[in-house]
Amino acid sequence: MNKMNIKLSGAEEQLRAILVTHGQDSAAAQFADIGLPTRRIEAYHYTDLKSLLREVPSALAKANVGTTAKRSVFEGTARIEIVNGQMAGDFDVEGVSVATSGNDASGEDSVVLLSEALVGDVVEIKVSGELDQVLHIDRIIDGDAAINADKVVVTVEDGCSLTLVESFNASDAAHMRLATTEIALGEGANVVHLQLDGNSADTRHFANVRYSLAGDSLLRTFVQHTEAQLSRTVVTADFNGGGAHADFAGLNLLAGKQHADITLNVNHLVANTTSTEMFKNVVHDGAKAVFQGKIVVAKDAQKTDAQMMCQGLILSERGEILVKPELEIFADDVICAHGATCGELDENSLFYLMSRGIPRKEAKAMLIRAFLAEMFEPMEVEAVVETLEARVDSWLDEREEA
Amino acid sequence: MTTPILEIKDLHVKVEEEDKIILKGVNLTLPAGEVHAIMGRNGSGKSTLSYVLAGKDGYEVTQGEVLFHGKDLLAMSAHERAAAGLFLAFQYPIEIPGVATMTFLKAALNAQRKSRGEDEMKIPDFMKMVKEAAAKLEIKQEMLKRPLNVGFSGGEKKRAEILQMALMQPSLCVLDETDSGLDIDALKIVSEGVNLLRSQNRSMLVITHYQRLLNHIIPDRVHVFSDGRIVESGDRELALQLESKGYAEFDGHAA
Repeated sequence: MNKMNIKLSGAEEQLRAILVTHGQDSAAAQFADIGLPTRRIEAYHYTDLKSLLREVPSALAKANVGTTAKRSVFEGTARIEIVNGQMAGDFDVEGVSVATSGNDASGEDSVVLLSEALVGDVVEIKVSGELDQVLHIDRIIDGDAAINADKVVVTVEDGCSLTLVESFNASDAAHMRLATTEIALGEGANVVHLQLDGNSADTRHFANVRYSLAGDSLLRTFVQHTEAQLSRTVVTADFNGGGAHADFAGLNLLAGKQHADITLNVNHLVANTTSTEMFKNVVHDGAKAVFQGKIVVAKDAQKTDAQMMCQGLILSERGEILVKPELEIFADDVICAHGATCGELDENSLFYLMSRGIPRKEAKAMLIRAFLAEMFEPMEVEAVVETLEARVDSWLDEREEA
Repeated sequence: MTTPILEIKDLHVKVEEEDKIILKGVNLTLPAGEVHAIMGRNGSGKSTLSYVLAGKDGYEVTQGEVLFHGKDLLAMSAHERAAAGLFLAFQYPIEIPGVATMTFLKAALNAQRKSRGEDEMKIPDFMKMVKEAAAKLEIKQEMLKRPLNVGFSGGEKKRAEILQMALMQPSLCVLDETDSGLDIDALKIVSEGVNLLRSQNRSMLVITHYQRLLNHIIPDRVHVFSDGRIVESGDRELALQLESKGYAEFDGHAA
């Protein structure tokens, strides 16, 4: 460990104190050494948390604070509610077992360190049977502004399938959320995992999602940032068995002064695995969207096929989209590609729609919806697609400019 | 005398934020029920005229006026012009990925109705209307489910334009080089579609390089366009003369 004795900011002191209060002395000491990540750390180059996180809540979220946060409900799904880090209510679905356990804190990355150290109960879900329902986990922060860390660990056994929708909801306060999700896919397992942003506007949202894929497993993912003022989701996937395939997707849909970062690490570690990556950024006003996508192909991972695409739409003068695709290829027989596009709405397309009687604002909305449609279509959960489309509609309505 | 559908008076247009002047005093009166052809060589400003009429951004009218049913057309935005009954059939219809043709048609028709203070169309009525109009243009239902103009052949794109025109029932149709990219069969289908829409209350401005299209869509008047203005007007014979003598005879420029 590099002992540097950095000067902690007010927010960092606060976080250190909370770790101590939570009985995490060694994590607190480790955090005091490294502090919050700055732009000097490559992975945080565009999302310097030391400057973006000036103030943090002074306490961890408490149990039994009442219910002011909205809940997400998707018809026909089996629903688990985690409120302020604790599982609420009973849950009984055949083929799914739910348990809670303690957590060990460690991590070189200070956000990971905080996330792991402050988790109370880890919610463990094991899918071992035939599941004919979509599983929905509503991860809620309720009550006054608080730091909330929760963790869901999912194991999908060999040959089993799971569609998991996670929604993040929060009461109207300046929370700091630290959410961890780990999903292990067994041999031939089939998983769809969608994360929906329902945070309050003042929430700072940090999510870590880790996947491990065994042979012949199939994964489809989606992560969305639309609500929180500051969001960062780190998606990490390890391909550990041949024949596995994953489609990763994500959306930053931002306005005002929002800052959102999706950082993706895809590790093709063995031969014969494939992936696609499709990420979209839409920024309005002075919002800033970041996408960092790194595909690593290990030396033995021959026949890897990975296709990464990032598309951006800038709807204002001051909006910013920062994209950093990276390929690290150590094998010699692979197909890897990455592409990035970024631009304004096409004036010729707008004129075409307007020449048919569609007012400018509506024409813009049509083109933005069309831009996003191809990302929503493959999600397979109709209720979620409808929710996302409705949110895009209301987002478009909120944009004043004609 | 009744008000003409379109009156263009001494229209001067330049490209916005540039010095390039494209239209240099266009005068044209298009009475109700008539079809006028505008013929001219490439770069003479024909397409600019169509864009200015339809309300595309990027052009500045420096002089003159355009009256549409006696009202100031240039004061209206593009979507208002469409709702008021102006339709531009594009030379190169734009591909819009992610928007199904049917969805687009419904949005456009209802947007126009809304602008005019009318109720939205009932879905079954809309479906019936589209189906009938599509059949006349030999457009298959499958094509209407595809994203607008995406992957359409040149002929399909032009037929889709005429389908839109038939559905929107405009009083003024501006057809910008509708014959470009069409083979003989497609030209015939498209022309028949256009001819079906000829009526007492509807006028058409047919912009073309070639007299070929005018064998199918017979114009009442022909105007020769050169260097940003009309240099000669006449009846259908003028188009035939142009075809045999070339533009140089009329505008004095070498081809």
